[in-house]
Order: sequence, then C-alpha cells, then structure tokens
Amino acid sequence: MENAWIIPLFPLLSFVILLLFGRRLKEASAFVGILLTLASFVYSMLVLFERFSAPTFKTEAVWLSIGDIQLTSGFEVNQLNALMLFIVSLVSFLVHIYSKGYMSGDERFSVFYAYLGLFTFAMLGLVLSPNLLQTYIFWELVGVGSFLLIGFYFYKEEAKAAAKKAFIMTRIGDAGLFIGMILLFWQVGSFEYDEIFRAVDKGTISTGMITLTAILIFAGAAGKSGQFPLHTWLPDAMEGPTPVSALIHAATMVAAGVYLVAALFPLFTASDTALMTVALVGAFTAIFAASIGLVQTDIKRVLAYSTVSQLGYMMLALGSAGYAAGIFHLMTHAFFKALLFLAAGSVIHAVHTQDIEKMGGLWKKMRLTGPLFLIGTLAISGVPLFSGFFSKDEILIAAWAHGHTVLFWLAVVSAFFTSFYMFRLFFMVFSGEPRTDISKVHEPPSAMTLPMVVLGILAVVSGYVNTPWFGTFLGDWLTEGNEALGNGHMEGSAWIMLVATVVSLLGIFLAWLIYGKKTLSRDWLAGSSSMTYSILYNKYYIDEFYQLSFVKIAKGISNFLRIFEAFFVEGIVKGIAGAVQGLGKTGAKQQDGQVQTYGAVAFFGLAVLIVIFALTGGYLL
Amino acid sequence: MDMKTFLSLEWEIMAPEFIILGIIILISLLDIFMSKRADRKVLGWIGIAGVIGAAVSLALLIDHSAASILYDTFRLDSFSKAFKLLLLIGAVLVLFLAVSYEPKEGIEYKGEFYYLFLAALLGAMMMASSGDLISLFTGLELLSISSYILAGMRKKHLLSNESAMKYVINGGISTAVTLFGMSYVYGLAGTTNLKAISTYLTRNLDEQHIYLLGLAFFMIFIGLSFKLASAPFHMWAPDVYEGAPTPVTAFLGVASKTAGFVLLVRVLLVIFLSVPSDSWPGSDPLLIKVQDYMAFLAGATMIIGNVIALRQRNVKRLFAYSSIAHAGYLLVAVATVSTLFETMWFYLLAYLFMNLGAFAVIQLLTEKADSEDISHFSGLYRRSPVLAVAMAIFILSLAGIPGTAGFIGKLNIFIGALITTPAHYVLASVMIAATIVSYYYYFGIMSQMFFRPQENGEKVMIQAGIGVVIGICAVGTILFGIMPNLALDFLHTNFDFTDLFQ
Repeated sequence: MENAWIIPLFPLLSFVILLLFGRRLKEASAFVGILLTLASFVYSMLVLFERFSAPTFKTEAVWLSIGDIQLTSGFEVNQLNALMLFIVSLVSFLVHIYSKGYMSGDERFSVFYAYLGLFTFAMLGLVLSPNLLQTYIFWELVGVGSFLLIGFYFYKEEAKAAAKKAFIMTRIGDAGLFIGMILLFWQVGSFEYDEIFRAVDKGTISTGMITLTAILIFAGAAGKSGQFPLHTWLPDAMEGPTPVSALIHAATMVAAGVYLVAALFPLFTASDTALMTVALVGAFTAIFAASIGLVQTDIKRVLAYSTVSQLGYMMLALGSAGYAAGIFHLMTHAFFKALLFLAAGSVIHAVHTQDIEKMGGLWKKMRLTGPLFLIGTLAISGVPLFSGFFSKDEILIAAWAHGHTVLFWLAVVSAFFTSFYMFRLFFMVFSGEPRTDISKVHEPPSAMTLPMVVLGILAVVSGYVNTPWFGTFLGDWLTEGNEALGNGHMEGSAWIMLVATVVSLLGIFLAWLIYGKKTLSRDWLAGSSSMTYSILYNKYYIDEFYQLSFVKIAKGISNFLRIFEAFFVEGIVKGIAGAVQGLGKTGAKQQDGQVQTYGAVAFFGLAVLIVIFALTGGYLL
Repeated sequence: MDMKTFLSLEWEIMAPEFIILGIIILISLLDIFMSKRADRKVLGWIGIAGVIGAAVSLALLIDHSAASILYDTFRLDSFSKAFKLLLLIGAVLVLFLAVSYEPKEGIEYKGEFYYLFLAALLGAMMMASSGDLISLFTGLELLSISSYILAGMRKKHLLSNESAMKYVINGGISTAVTLFGMSYVYGLAGTTNLKAISTYLTRNLDEQHIYLLGLAFFMIFIGLSFKLASAPFHMWAPDVYEGAPTPVTAFLGVASKTAGFVLLVRVLLVIFLSVPSDSWPGSDPLLIKVQDYMAFLAGATMIIGNVIALRQRNVKRLFAYSSIAHAGYLLVAVATVSTLFETMWFYLLAYLFMNLGAFAVIQLLTEKADSEDISHFSGLYRRSPVLAVAMAIFILSLAGIPGTAGFIGKLNIFIGALITTPAHYVLASVMIAATIVSYYYYFGIMSQMFFRPQENGEKVMIQAGIGVVIGICAVGTILFGIMPNLALDFLHTNFDFTDLFQ
C-alpha cells in the first residue's frame, strides 16, 4: 500500500509513450496501453486485498508553502479509495482490451489509446487524493480527458459540439465545487479531508456554512455525475466512441461525482439540508431520466439516460445516509453498465446503426452478445439473484429507513420504468423479425467478447458481496472504524424487497407484451398520450430551454459587451481623440492604432484616478 | 571622493553588471571590425556566454550580505539578486531565440541587435539594483531607449517601423509622467535617495503634503504601467508586439515586464509603505490607502486583456493581450501586498518559462510567413507532434491548468489575495472570471493544433537554438508545476527580503 502512488503512473506512462511514439507504433499501441493498465489493475487488486487486513494508509509531504500556509500533497488508501482503484483500473483495463477490436482500423488508433491513458491516470489520481485541492486538480484533468475522448471523432459536428457541451456543463458545476472548496479553506485553513472533518466535528464551522459548502460541492458532483439540471451533456456525450461511453459514462467519470459526495460524507451528514438536497436531486433525477429513457430510439441514448437515472439512485442513497448502499450500487452499476455499453458497442459494430427501430432478431445471429446483454438488462432491472437487485434493494431500504416516503415511492416507480425501457430495448434489438438485412451480422473478434464475458460474470456475482442472506460484507467493511459513515447495512422489512421484485417483473412483463409478444400495440404508449410522448421524446425540452435561456442570455451579454466595448470604451477614447481629429476620420483609422489615443487613454486614466483620490480623500474640500 | 576611496569600494558586488558592460563593448567593437559579410551569429554566442558568465558571478554573490556602494545608489540586496537572476535566465533564452531568428527579408544589422539587447538587459539590471531615484531612472531609460531601437530592427518591414515609432512616442509620454511624479517626491523630501526619502517623509511629513504624495504615487504608478503593459497604459502593447521582431517581442513580454515590476515594487515598498496616510500617529501607510485603486487597475487590466484577446486572429497580438492579462494577475499580487516577494518572483519565473517557450514556437512557425495568423498552428500535431505537445504545455500553463507552473503562480496570487486582511474577495473573483475567459482563446490555439487539418503540409524544422529554448521552458514549466517547492525553497534559503529596508 505504501507504493500505491505508482498505480496512476502506469497509464500516465502509457499516455506519454503513445503521445511521442504513437505514430510509429500504430496498432501496437494497444499492447502498450493494455499492458500498462494491466499493471495498474494487478497493483490495485493487491492494494485492495491488503487493505482488507491493514488499516488506512496515508502519506503526505509539503508541496507548496505560501506565507504561513502549507499545502500538502500525498495519497491515501482507505476503504473507499481502495475499492474505487479496483473498479476504475479493472474497467479501464477491460475497455483497453475491447478497444483493440472496436477501434481497429481507425486512423488515429494510437491517439485514442493515448487519451485513454491520460483519462485513466487522472481518474486513478483522483481517487487517491487525500485533500480537496489535489482532488480538484485531478477532477479538472478528468474533465480534459473526457473532453478529448468525447470529441475523438472531431470531424463529426455533433461530436465536437457534444465535447464542448460536456466540458461547459461540467464546468458550471465545477465553479460551484471551486467556490465551495475555497470557502472551506477559508473556514478551516486547510484542504485536508481529515482537517475538514475534524473542524465539522468540533463545530468550528457554522451550520449555515456547512450547508452552503456542501451544496456548492454537490453542484460540482452533480455536473460530473449528470444530475438534474446539469445532466444534458451526458446523453450527447454518446457521440464519442462506444468504449469511451463504457469507461467514462458508466464506470468512472460519472461515478466521480458520487465518489466526491461519499468522500466528503461527514460534511454532508452534518447538515440535514444538504443531505436532503442530495436525496431530492437524486430521486428526481432517477425518475426524470428514467421517464425520458422510455421513448428514446437510439440504443446508446437509452443507456445514457439509464445511467443518469442510476446515478440519481446512488445520490438518493447517499442523501438518505445510505453510504454503503450508494457505494455498493456504484460498484454493481459500474460492472453491469459497462457490460451493457460494450454489448451495445458490439451490436453497433455488427449492424452499423444505433437506431433500435432498424434492429431486431439479432438473438439468433449474436449468440454471445445476446445473452450477455440479457444479463446486463436483468441486472439493471433488479431481477432477483442478479447484482443490481441487491444494491437497488439496499437503496430502497435506506430511503425508507431515513423516512423519505415520497422519495421511496419515486424510486420504486423509476425501478418500474427502468425494467420496462431496458426490456423494451432488449426485445426491440434481439427479438422479433429483423427490420433490416442482417445476413452479414456476426460476432465481434475475441478482443471484444472477452471483456464482455468478464463483466457478464461480475454483473451476476458482484451483488453477493453484500446481501441480506449471506452477510453484508462490503457494507461492514466500508463503514468499519468510522461512525460518521453510518451502518453498513440497514435492516429493512422483507416487503420492500418484494415490492422491488414485483415492479421489476411487472416492467418486464409489460415490455414483453408490447415489444416481445406484441399483444399490445406499440401505439398504446405512443398514441394514447401523444402529448406525453412528445414531451418525453424531446427530453422535457430541457435543451431547448437552455438554448432559449442560458445560451441566449450568454450571447446577449457577449453582444452587449461587444457593443459596450465598441461604443462605450472606444467612445470615450474617440471623444478625446475627436478633439484632435474629428470623429469621422477616427472611425476608419481606429484600427491602425492611433498613438495619440493610446497616450490620451493613459492620461485620461491618470486624471480620473487623481480626481477620485482627491474627492474621496477629502483633499479638495 | 578621492581616488583612494573610490578604488576601495566593494566593486565586486557589481560584477554581473560589469561583465555585461564588457561584453557590450566587446561585441560592438567586433561588429565594427568584422568583415561585412561575416556571419554575426558568433556575436550572439559571445553574448550568450557573457550573460551566462554574469549569471555565474551573480550566483557567487548569492551569500553576500546586503551591501551598497556609491552613496547607496547601487544596492545588492536579496530583492535585487533574486530578480536579477530571473532577468539573466530570461536574457539567455531570448538570446538563443535571437541567434536563430531569420526573417524572410533578413536583418542587416544583426550585430547591433545583440549589443543593444545587452544594453537593455544592463538597464533592467540597474533598475533592479538601484537605491536612488536617479539611478533608477537612468536604468529605466537605458532599457527603454535600447528597446525602442530593437523594436524597429526589421528596418525594411513596415510594421516593425510602425511599432518602433509607437513605442518611442508612448514611451516618451510614460517617461514624462513617471519623472513628473518623481519630481514631486524629490520636492517634498529634498533628496533622491530612496532610503533617505523614506526616513525624511516618515518623520517630517506635513499633513498638507499627503495629497501631493498621493499625486506622485499615481503618476509614478501610471507611468510605470507602461512598462508593465497594464491599464490604462496598455494600448501600445498589441501594435508593438505585432510589429517587433519575435525575439524582441519575447524580450518585451518577459524581461522588460519583470524590470518594470521590480522597479515598481521597490519604489512602492520603500517610499510609499513607510509614508503615513494621515496626520495622526499610527495611521495606515499611504500604500494601504491606495490599495483599492491598485486593485481596481489590476481588475481592469485583467478584464481588458482577456476580453479583447478573444477577438484576435494574429498570434502575436493575441499574446500581447495575454501579456496584458498576466500583468493584471501580477498587479493583484502587488495590490494585495501579502507575501508579495515570493508570489511575484514565482509568477515571473513561471511566466518567463511559459511565455518564452510559447514565443519560441511562434517564432518557429511564423518567421518565414507573411502573416502571423492563428491558422499557422493548424494541424501542428500532425506536422510535428513534439512541437505541438510543447506548445500545449505552455498554453496550459498560461491558462493556469493544474500540473503546470502557471497554475501554482496563479494559486499563490489567489490565496495571497484571500489571506490578507482585509481579504480581497472581489479582486479574487475577478481574477477567476478573467482566467475562465482566457480559456477560450487559449483553447482556440489548442484546437487549431490538435483538431484542425493542416493547411500547409510542410514539416517544421527545429533549429538547435530554438530547440534548446523550447526544451528548457517545457521542463521548467512542468517541473515547477509539479514541484513548486524546488523554486520556493531555493528562494527561502538564499534570500531574506527584509534586507530591502535596511
């Protein structure tokens, strides 16, 4: 564990090597990336196993001293960090392998692997950070990595726009995070997590300040984790290559927001308002995104909205003081959602379209992808015995136990939606008659199937580390030795589990009726309430709203400033120069840069300052 | 002063200046006697050797305790040593650029180029070391006048001529304003020695003179803002930066700006920090009273620089506005006064590396071209991955992205603004906002390099001299970004800035 700092360095090395020599290595770049991420995965696994028996390891050194303030940097391996290291390096490793097949033949193959390396480095660095500042630095770096990966097909206008949108939307949240961080620093005098928690414990920070900083930090988390209202970038980010979606938008970057809230959990629990905000936003996002997912026709977009919705679940868990439940779901979700994305990638690879209206009947053609996709679908729908069932159950219990009755039912309804739209997706893609020519469809190369099989197994078994039947090992371990994190497991009535099972099966049944057996007409949903349908299909018009409000306002401001600059600032300048030259002449000559103007501006500035100084200082009176 | 006392002075503390002076004389003589056709590059190499020699001699003086000679006109204190070190590092790098500089039409007077450049450097070093208004001013003028000619070095290039003309006229105005301000100080104190001024004014200041001192402060500050390229005396920068030969632009952006800040800080701290702002005892120093004005100018400078930069297509103009913006960040440190020395020193160090590195790349890409349009960067990653990665490092640093020296520099300033009492929240917020605006144009260059198809497919040849500069700057930018304490520890162990006031 003492050497855990080396874990992020492997992918960094891969990034540097590929950046400099990538063009010569060509497709061999994949091996560089795969081997180096394998190294970090193996190391992460060792660290995780060591952490089961050893206490938290933390080391720091002074990094920067400003006046009397000393900023430190270092790394920390606590339970959460060790688990995150494992998840991130595993998924990254699998995606590296998968990409070898998926990206094969791409002109910028090595660049893709270089970006993957950079992103993995940033993400691993993020989860090792022992203080807010370091977290923030890697947080931004993660943003840069995802910007590059989403915009990888930069010649596609949509991809470029999506990359930009992702960057800007998350930056809005980051501004909140930054302000929150600075406020905490101001109050505590340190960026250290431990110091902050100590100050919160001792009550040196006022409750109002705790609430404010926690909510500001949550804004950052919401941006990264695609929580309402900053979620719109995530579906658009599907323009990136599919392996990227599996890595960034299932298992790692979007989980960073959840991770941040978990890492600062004692800060959040100190303020009921902050916790409530997290729970509310989470629950609302869960049902909101799930309802949009009901009608999308792009395979990746359905998955994207389901990701947003599942992240909402995790936030709901954290907001209901269900620390262990949130992390547990983060883990299971990482596996089954990565699986779903990779399987979707395999489908897209085979049929060259993302429109599920044009798919169908692939089950017979894709003997491996089909069942794997089904496993993922069962897991996310919360069908008993699959991993998603256990983690979702924990979240529902947490919400109920914390007294959020309304939020609990919202979560139940979104669970119903989830199983419905996931099985709608499954039936439309794999069952029925093919809607296009699929004679050439075949399974992808083994580089792509192998990672899917691994994830498929994990999507089933990862739930058993924390079950009400065989023991809540994960939860107990996560909360061990830290009272503030709450119980590892909350006792819930059996009826909650029953309800969850029933709604999930109900959703599947309905989806089967409409899309599988086709007893019910498809228009039953679309036709009976076309108004609802079009609202959902258009994603509640959120993008349009942003377009109308923020973008217009921003454009307005920029126009105003331009006019202000052109007329007001230069106007003053021109006014003075005009005495010398006459207003008409200056207009044209302004661009040549009149020397006397420059001098005049300086002189004018000086005069104004002196006059103000004289007036405010009372020297003139 | 008779000959004996004259010779008994501690002349060795001026060793770096003497070395530079000697090299200037040597190069100018060589230039006269060399055959007309001989390559003047050798003079550049002599210059580089001389500057390195001066740096070594300065390094040998590093443990020397604070001393002054010639009636306290020349001071060797920690302040001057630390900043002269920056000037010399910057000068070596700029000379490397100058040696490799070959514009399309050629430069006729390359010999002059080197010794004028060294003369400018000498002026800057004198500014850093002066303890007297007179020697401060002569240093300033030596720097300025040499720079005016340097800006017009491309004699047959129209823009270069325009640039020199504008520079000299605006420089004249600024000099007049500065000098006028200084004359007030002299009038009130009756002496030109900084320390004597401070002692006299602290004891004998008439209440009615405070306003006059305030006037003097504003005039000196505005006059010097010309050298810093900060508001309201910033407008010359884009025109001059654009027209001047690229190495000269690099020099103006880095060395000249550093010298301006050094001079400003010395005058502000020695004179205006000791002068009371009111008649009753224990009142705030005048400098604290005018803090808000400086803060306002710092804010205005950041905003102007970053906002106007958004509209630039010409790379050198863009960097001129970016340089204005950076002057604004530095002024934040000046205005908030807290931990001023190390903050300013570190930022100037970081700025030296990132800006010179960027100018090296700009020079490489544009010197043969007719325009300096930003499209010269298009597809650079395809043409020369190493160059593109290096430029990306510089740009990220200028934008203040974590992992680079520029980030640490900004962080220092930012935290410095927050930890003083009263904390400057507004100024800190403006700084953040301005930084965010700057991402836009910095990333514009990035997207040209990485995302645009190349416009002209020619490979970029990297000359040895420029390669050295880019390499050193890239390493420096990253190294001090990851381990800033290397530089700060060096500063803390070797320099004790309080000897400024001794």
